[in-house]
Amino acid sequence: MASLSQTASLLLRLAARRRTGAGAWVTAREAFWIALEALRAHKLRSILTLLGVVIATTTLIAVMSIINGMNLYIADHIANLGANVFIVHQWKWAQGYEAWLKARRRNKPVRIEEFEFLRESLKGYKSIGASAGLHNSDTQARYQGHTLYDVGVSGVTPNMIDIGQQKVESGRYITEADYQHESMVCFVGRDLVDDFFPSVDPLNKEILVNGIPFRVIGVAQKIGSTFGESQDNFAQIPLTTFRKFYSPRPSLAVSVQAWNARQMLVLEDEVRALLRARRHIPYREDDTFGINASETIMDTWNMLMGTIFTVTIGIVAVFMVVGGIVIMNIMLASVTERTHEIGIRKSLGARRRDILMQFVIESSVMAGIGGGIGVLLAFLVSRIVDYFFTSTVPLSAVLVGLFLSTAVGLFFGIYPASKAAKLDPIEALRTEN
Amino acid sequence: MSEERDRRTAMATQVASSSMQETLTPSDGVIIKTDNLWKTYDMGEAIQVHALSGVSFEIERGEYVAIMGPSGSGKSTLMNLIGCLDTATRGTYWLNARLVSELSDDELAYIRNKEIGFVFQTFNLLSRASALHNVELPLIYSGMPAKERLERAEEALRKVDLADRMHHKPNELSGGQRQRVAIARALVNNPSIILADEPTGNLDSGTGEEIMALFERLHQAGNTIVLVTHEHDIAAHAHRIIHVRDGRIERDERVE
Repeated sequence: MASLSQTASLLLRLAARRRTGAGAWVTAREAFWIALEALRAHKLRSILTLLGVVIATTTLIAVMSIINGMNLYIADHIANLGANVFIVHQWKWAQGYEAWLKARRRNKPVRIEEFEFLRESLKGYKSIGASAGLHNSDTQARYQGHTLYDVGVSGVTPNMIDIGQQKVESGRYITEADYQHESMVCFVGRDLVDDFFPSVDPLNKEILVNGIPFRVIGVAQKIGSTFGESQDNFAQIPLTTFRKFYSPRPSLAVSVQAWNARQMLVLEDEVRALLRARRHIPYREDDTFGINASETIMDTWNMLMGTIFTVTIGIVAVFMVVGGIVIMNIMLASVTERTHEIGIRKSLGARRRDILMQFVIESSVMAGIGGGIGVLLAFLVSRIVDYFFTSTVPLSAVLVGLFLSTAVGLFFGIYPASKAAKLDPIEALRTEN
Repeated sequence: MSEERDRRTAMATQVASSSMQETLTPSDGVIIKTDNLWKTYDMGEAIQVHALSGVSFEIERGEYVAIMGPSGSGKSTLMNLIGCLDTATRGTYWLNARLVSELSDDELAYIRNKEIGFVFQTFNLLSRASALHNVELPLIYSGMPAKERLERAEEALRKVDLADRMHHKPNELSGGQRQRVAIARALVNNPSIILADEPTGNLDSGTGEEIMALFERLHQAGNTIVLVTHEHDIAAHAHRIIHVRDGRIERDERVE
């Protein structure tokens, strides 16, 4: 009967535990406590141990942030050509350097006759415009002794304001009349206004663009700066005027706007067919021009970034493995150092899995903290890079970084932890430290 | 979490059922019963060393027993077996009416946690943890929630008159105080037996007497105490002495 009552009492004790639902959580909390205590007790050693994981996490997040920043930039400033717009130019934008060099050698610029040909031959488009820029020359703008350098001077057709993403802030854009009469007028960016006319109305003032006088007729809305370069440092003039004064046969970027996305694809095909026929490009040979649309730019860009990202993943993986091995090494030393402690815990009723969990949690917490430090460092790096270039930390990168570092700690903690868990309690208690 | 619970339940049922099978062998009130315990170490080349050769004895609930013998007598081996730190090569061992010989590692850990309170010669406290946390450890491994655990640990420290020192680390305590923390830790989970291995070995004789007085008090309060020692003076505090020599029980005497 005694045994029955003992069984009953045991079951009662178990029932009490079931009610509180503690169990694993209690021992896990103890393990967290031990982990933090161990980190606190060996600060320098922990930091040195975590260096690998910290560097790996920082690298991962920093690269992801920079790529993310560039993606945002490309999406916002290069691939954002306008609604249902594609641009025909000498080459494709945002492609690999090799491909660009090849295109530069082989492709022919899009000339004014080709623009006119497309305008006449293409059917059903919403509008078609063209622009040409001054290249390879130091451009400057002057007004009453003030000089601005590296001004982006371009000649445009009047409908470019509707096709592109520019907005008029004050005054007006270049009109059909300006275009027809080769007027000496210009539409300028914010930078010129800030520099030349900080307190006066810029409209109808005359500025010198590369020594030629132009009347300011309108000011564009501020765009801001990217890659550390201002996007508001420009002056646009009628394409006809541009040809007359700067370059009679410029290389054009022809913008075609469709009514909708589906028609855009049709128009792209038609433009390709028309230009290939006009340029007598034999069947099977590549285009000698590039058709740029938002999606294709993004696709090529993402492919490029994908390569960079893959390389980064490889490097990070190596760092992580090295970091993990360092952690494993330190954990093995820690197990040896704490053999006596393990013996004590076992004598008090810690099971194998309790000890296993203690050390696995310790290495995970350690690596996780390393990941956390890495995240903080990455934020710092991102801020610095953003100052010169562009970088935005994506939340996904932070999560991936933290998860990955913790997982590395967990994985490389398993071997030392299982070694600790298998220790014989008597032997362990006998070990002096 | 529920898996964890299931495992613990399963283990407890297994332990409980093992007690059901062998219930009738030890009689009521017997807390420890060993029957023909052998512990043999293989030293290779077919050389065998018998640390214990056929030890049988019973200890009743509430007894205060000393196991005495010179070094090499096998008393440490016997203590390890009684303490469920090790298993016998041959023979059976019941603790609190449960057959604990031939249990697995984790099951032994469970028994150690529930049924045995260790007091060691070298105290074996965690040096980086406070006295309170040291006393909490057995409760942590039985999965007790924090609030209840804290109450029980404080209660145990009060029993050994260390309530005012509970937040001190072991290195801030004297030897006698450390041993009292260890005793509180041994008491905290209400074990069936308190197993003390040379508890005064690292203390001066004055402090040793204090500790022995504390054991006497615990005995008076109804605890079963098993004391392992090689010192006559210490063994003399117990009410029964089991003399061990060459792996056998040499003499089993009652002291009044």
